[in-house]
Amino acid sequence: MSTTAILESLQSAIIDGDEQKAPQFVQTALADKLDAQTILEKGLLAGMAVVGQRFRDGDYFLPEVLISAEAMKAAMTVLSPMLKAQNVKARATAVVGTVRGDLHDIGKNLVAIMLEGAGFEVIDLGVDVPPEKFAQACRDRKVDLVAMSALLTTTMPEMESAIRMLQRELPNPPPVIIGGAPVTQQYADRIGAAGYGRDAASGAEVARGLCAKAG
Amino acid sequence: MGTHRVATTRPVATTPTALTPRERVSRALARKPHDRIPMFDWWWMETEIAYLRELNDPRIAYEFSSPGVDAAHVARRGEGLTLWEYFELDLLQVGWPDQRLRMVDPVVLDESDEWIVQRDGNDATLRWWKHRMGTPEHIGFGINSPDKWNAAKASLQASRERIRWSEFIPKYRRARKDDRFVCYATVEVIESAKDSLGHEQMLRAILKQPEWVHGVFDTYTRFLIDMFELACSNGLECDGAFVYGDIAYKNGPFMSPRHYREFVQPYHRRLFDAFHARGMPVIFHSDGDIRPILDDLIAAGVDMINPLESRAGMDVRELAPRCGDRVGFCGNIDVTILATNDREQIRAEVQSKLAAAMPHNGYMYHSDHSIPPGVRLDTYLFLLDEVRRLGRYG
Repeated sequence: MSTTAILESLQSAIIDGDEQKAPQFVQTALADKLDAQTILEKGLLAGMAVVGQRFRDGDYFLPEVLISAEAMKAAMTVLSPMLKAQNVKARATAVVGTVRGDLHDIGKNLVAIMLEGAGFEVIDLGVDVPPEKFAQACRDRKVDLVAMSALLTTTMPEMESAIRMLQRELPNPPPVIIGGAPVTQQYADRIGAAGYGRDAASGAEVARGLCAKAG
Repeated sequence: MGTHRVATTRPVATTPTALTPRERVSRALARKPHDRIPMFDWWWMETEIAYLRELNDPRIAYEFSSPGVDAAHVARRGEGLTLWEYFELDLLQVGWPDQRLRMVDPVVLDESDEWIVQRDGNDATLRWWKHRMGTPEHIGFGINSPDKWNAAKASLQASRERIRWSEFIPKYRRARKDDRFVCYATVEVIESAKDSLGHEQMLRAILKQPEWVHGVFDTYTRFLIDMFELACSNGLECDGAFVYGDIAYKNGPFMSPRHYREFVQPYHRRLFDAFHARGMPVIFHSDGDIRPILDDLIAAGVDMINPLESRAGMDVRELAPRCGDRVGFCGNIDVTILATNDREQIRAEVQSKLAAAMPHNGYMYHSDHSIPPGVRLDTYLFLLDEVRRLGRYG
């Protein structure tokens, strides 16, 4: 099997959500002496990019995205030790969380899936995250992006509170992207968020753009 | 009733030519001419509490059911008027069968002043707010394999204890006396299975374990129909059904139309057929953008859709011309506009939506979700007045 064929098979396993084959192809690639970064970028992340694109285009729905994420997770259990051994860094680090007063987690989990699929290391703060916790996470380590989710109109204002706190407390606050059922681009503009994700895949795309711009 | 104009007694048929609420809703569901558009609504719990406090009328009963809510409020269920009656809305709901796998008290695993973590009768561990409504955090689902499901499903049997008779019998009797339209309210397969399997596991299983999904949906459908028949045979003979089944979110259905037709539609059809067999039209509720599966829902037997969430792109002005001859609409009055408390904006919203929906005779007022706490009581009363004024035919 050629290198190209191995990577294409890995991509297909991710796109099809095949959690049996995806780790097998990672093993095949490693046995073929492919470096971990190439396997990650040209196999896993390339596959997840297709998943994200299909989701944005309305060809994939939640079940397809969820099983692709499972396949990626299974592949990563094999690849992660090699990435660490070869000192391969994530493209960027993102902090994600659902804002204070909101316990909804499915949308936030999807964003985390898509960000990981776009090559981010994700620090998931969970739900009901107060502004101070977002700020603390950004102090604890170098964070390139913060992604906030809210399901309710009543909790949406917490996004603005969190953004203000990051601006107040951090000398170089990372860009913030927001999303969730009640959130719109207009609202993002109004509260000074750097980006808005209409859906999880679009959010990851916006996140990549912001981090690429920041260099 | 203090200073409020709406308040009061048994309102509706004030002139000999006016229809009763039951007649009005029945005609709207059949898309036949009627006197004015019927009305129904839901409020967020915080809104309900705020309105109850402001109204301060001892004749109103509390109707709260979220975990952790003040027990004194719950204890008053079934007594006095509901807000639906107080605001003179046309439809009342009874039924709401409890579809937990096991009828056991939840086990409290952790709690604070604000929230409570419980393992419930579905073996699901969820974190709920104590004093407000909202989707809980999904911490874990004990039913995580077909084997565990098969062991647990035996306890899902129709029984009298699964309906809150003390709440619904007085409400049902008042509704009959006032000739309101009584709906048997229930959930369907998606709403049931997400409580026991969780959304993520259920949606993954559609692709990975399709036979399991069919088995789960078949079991729930049989149970829900059995509960409906039990309710009928115990005196809750209703005029229609209000079926709750969130199957979409802001960006579209959870699953593709193909998967809806394969995995969900057969069970929707079976449930809706059970209602139709008793002459009961079906109002189907799903948040989110259901446009990609709207025709499939109609084919399954939906007579009216609710709540047509504006922020998800649902717009009765687009939908009524497209399929107003095949299905009715209940909702679509944008809560974000209501929350501005700007009467001109609210009037324009009502005017514009009613103008599109009314010619088809199949429209019922409802907000496009639930009335949020930002909508003041005086604004809400203004809204109801405007709907009554602008929603009159002839």
